[in-house]
Amino acid sequence: MNIVSICALAIVSSVLSIALKRHNQELSILISIGAAIIILLSVIEYILSSIDSVSSILAKANINSAYVTILLKVMGICFLTEFTCDYTKEAGLVALSGNIALAGKIIILITSLPMFSEVLNIVVKLSGGELSD
Amino acid sequence: MEVDMIFKIAAIGIIVAILNQLLIRSGREEQALLTTIAGLIVALMMIITQISDLFSTIKTTFGL
Repeated sequence: MNIVSICALAIVSSVLSIALKRHNQELSILISIGAAIIILLSVIEYILSSIDSVSSILAKANINSAYVTILLKVMGICFLTEFTCDYTKEAGLVALSGNIALAGKIIILITSLPMFSEVLNIVVKLSGGELSD
Repeated sequence: MEVDMIFKIAAIGIIVAILNQLLIRSGREEQALLTTIAGLIVALMMIITQISDLFSTIKTTFGL
């Protein structure tokens, strides 16, 4: 599904969603969510191939593979929270989308904690180890 | 891909809107509300299967 059909789908579903907005708002937002899901599902295949190439390059540069998994996890969390935030905001629930963004940030912080300690160790090693204790 | 799903939901919306007006004009407000809720449930069920597909794909791709 190339970009042309994605844009056509987006335009058609936005017109349909606006057409239904006056009669029942629920179905209009369902149409926009359905269109977004179809677009994202078609784009995800490209992400898969790029992830394999990136991880093979990182493996060649002998970077620890734990970081790659953390990186992927954080990207997935960002992807999901962004999708949910946008759609809760479009439904008009601004507070809920703010809460979801906050929850996503906290989860990302927690999943990337091991990287922070690793960076600190590197900094300590670089600075000759005086700061370690 | 399930492009026709969007048109199905739009069709449900239009039919429910028309039925709603029809039933309201003929004095049966409760049945109008019931048809609206029924249409909403049908569309919601279709969307939920799509959402679960998307989320499981994301889970497998990003290893969440």
